[in-house]
Amino acid sequence: MDLNFTPEDIAFRARVRKWFEDNTPRGEMRTLDERKAWHRKMYEAGFIGMGWPAEYGGKNARPMEQAIVSDEMTRANAPSAVNGLGTSICGPTIIVHGNEQQKQRFLKKILNADEIWCQLFSEPNAGSDLASLKTRAEDKGDHYEINGQKVWTSGGTIADWGILLARTDTTVPKHQGISFFLINMRQPGIEVRPLKQITGGSEFCEVFFTNARVEKENLIGKLNQGWMIAQTTLGYERGSGTLNRVTAYMMSLRRLLGATRKLKKNGGAAFDDLLVRQKLGRAFVELEVMRYSGLRTLSRLEKGLRPGPESSIAKLYYSEYGKRYHEWVMEILGPYGNVLEGAPPEFSGPDRIDGGGQTAWGVSFLGSRGPTIYAGTSEIQKNIIGERVLGLPKEVRMDRMQSKGE
Amino acid sequence: MDFDFTQEQAALRDSARDYLSQKCTTQFVRTMFEDPTGFSKPMWKEMAGLGWLGLTFPEENDGLGLGMVELALMLEEMGRAVFPGPYFASVLLAGGAIKAAGDKSQKQKYLGGIASGDVIATMGMLEDAPNWDAEGIALNAQAGGGGFVLNGMKRFVPFAQAADVMLIPARTSKNADPGKGISLFLVEAKGKGVESSPMKNIDLTNKASEVRFNNVMVPEENVVGEIDNGWHVVQKVLQQAAVGASAEMLGAARKSMEMSVEYAKMREAFGQKLGQFQAIKHKLADMLVDVESSHSAVYYAAWAQDAQSADAALAASVAKAYVGDAARKVCGEAIQVHGGIGFTWDFDLHLWFKRAKFYEPMFGDAEYHRELAARALAG
Repeated sequence: MDLNFTPEDIAFRARVRKWFEDNTPRGEMRTLDERKAWHRKMYEAGFIGMGWPAEYGGKNARPMEQAIVSDEMTRANAPSAVNGLGTSICGPTIIVHGNEQQKQRFLKKILNADEIWCQLFSEPNAGSDLASLKTRAEDKGDHYEINGQKVWTSGGTIADWGILLARTDTTVPKHQGISFFLINMRQPGIEVRPLKQITGGSEFCEVFFTNARVEKENLIGKLNQGWMIAQTTLGYERGSGTLNRVTAYMMSLRRLLGATRKLKKNGGAAFDDLLVRQKLGRAFVELEVMRYSGLRTLSRLEKGLRPGPESSIAKLYYSEYGKRYHEWVMEILGPYGNVLEGAPPEFSGPDRIDGGGQTAWGVSFLGSRGPTIYAGTSEIQKNIIGERVLGLPKEVRMDRMQSKGE
Repeated sequence: MDFDFTQEQAALRDSARDYLSQKCTTQFVRTMFEDPTGFSKPMWKEMAGLGWLGLTFPEENDGLGLGMVELALMLEEMGRAVFPGPYFASVLLAGGAIKAAGDKSQKQKYLGGIASGDVIATMGMLEDAPNWDAEGIALNAQAGGGGFVLNGMKRFVPFAQAADVMLIPARTSKNADPGKGISLFLVEAKGKGVESSPMKNIDLTNKASEVRFNNVMVPEENVVGEIDNGWHVVQKVLQQAAVGASAEMLGAARKSMEMSVEYAKMREAFGQKLGQFQAIKHKLADMLVDVESSHSAVYYAAWAQDAQSADAALAASVAKAYVGDAARKVCGEAIQVHGGIGFTWDFDLHLWFKRAKFYEPMFGDAEYHRELAARALAG
């Protein structure tokens, strides 16, 4: 057991920190071109797709190096890469399951943000039960014709391409009739509508397909193997979130701490109130445990071990923590927590990463309801932990026995 | 960065688990419920032979010279086995204080004695108020007669009935700062003026006593460390005790979880295995998250002690606050998963529930350590 960072990791962190100090754009980025320029600048510095194999333009970076870069980005409040989904999910899927022609055609343009990517998996009636998706891909001889609707598509309005799961066989059990496609988003048969969230923001879209077209050459893997491909998609950005999530919460917690020194309660500062201190103490304790567990995960990844289903433990911990943390924020700040605009700056939330001023605490609070739903709900994570880690028997699943039918 | 145990550490854990699962069965544990000293002398001697009683002591004092990570591993196994006996009291508490502040001859005599199993030691900390801060120390030690005269009382003294010697923090002078004026004394447990009466715990495997000191003479050579300057030693021991208690609670929680998982795979209701129901499956998943997170907290904190990391004190508080809550939840939910049988005396599950509960308030409860964490956050 040795939980010190190696001298190489410390030196690497110092270099990365300096780079983000020197290069992070100040002020709000307004245009897509500005966001692409920032993405390319990070790519040229070696920070984009750094976990990808070198033969496809990556750096074979170790999980620790990826974690350090993400962490320093957060620390510097640097805007995220505009093609994050492309580099974290779409590109790696093409690397693992795509053919040589597909790799040549797409990978380079993902890395340099020439083409922005989105993911088209969830549907209005297929969320946790993704395999019940209904969007259909019909073989039209020289191409597939797509009809249906997707939802929760991040970056749908700016995407040039998407990875798409669609049904190609309705006569077999639902998991066996799905195929994995790459689809050009710039065509008449696709309509993208922003979806307004409870935060008031629109980070996601709905996507409607009406006789949209996928070329035959853009099927990934074999027909009807899509479910397996979606399940086994191997991200190359393993462990990249383990440190920066903690840093982001730590920045928020320090901001909250500052507010409790200014906020009056019982004739003194809220910070001097024992109930407030218990909440701050709990927030800090649980965050430190998240940090320790993150180091444990990174240490496994560094040895080349896969996180496997244990990653569900981390997902469950941080997403549930986020909800608890923001409940405490709202309790401590009282009515100030509810204010979207017009609160004194000391009672407003942390700085926005796009340089556009401060977030409102209430918006972070509302946003905290998302992570226990996206990327596998807490309930799905608990099923995974129960069945794949603890080895509990599966529940009776009627849908595994029946064909999808119509 | 390596969060895994070394081969030597893993071997120590395996040999502890092997030994305890053979010798320290729950059948044996139950025979200790009504035993006044609460431990088996032959087993104690065997553990001395294995080197465990001097695990963290220097080699020159017949110890193995290992650190807090190894001690935490041992204590986790003891929590898992609900080991009954003064190991925590003798090795971690009294041994830890003597190791930190004792002089050469004290170390020779007491650490050597603890390691060989010939001396059983304990430490009395709490008095009337269950207060883990320096204000809690009121027991009076007056200089005189070539040493000190102790008057006062300690409560919740672990395994005082089994002990030969007790390490007693007492007040040698009054100061505005309660942390000043505390000195540490080694007091013969069966000496003149020392009166112990048992305080029976819900955890029948953890013995404790109220100990009264009536004009107890302590010779000069039994002062551990500097006069009036003993509190920092107690603080260090309390930090390690917080980590050690967390390790025991982790052992109890993991065992309770494992029993619950096995039960859920075997027991049937409504034509299904219990573990097929999400109401149970999700409970067990939550228990695993608590247990694995507790593992991270315990061993980070233990490593921080050994590495003398800048956040060692914070990490000890994080571990005690987090694991205290987590073990409470896991051991309690284990009873719920088992249903009626979990509420019976003859089924073993309550042993771990009680072990975890015993350590919850000891060395500062979760609330106390959250307050320390809040202070650390504020810097």
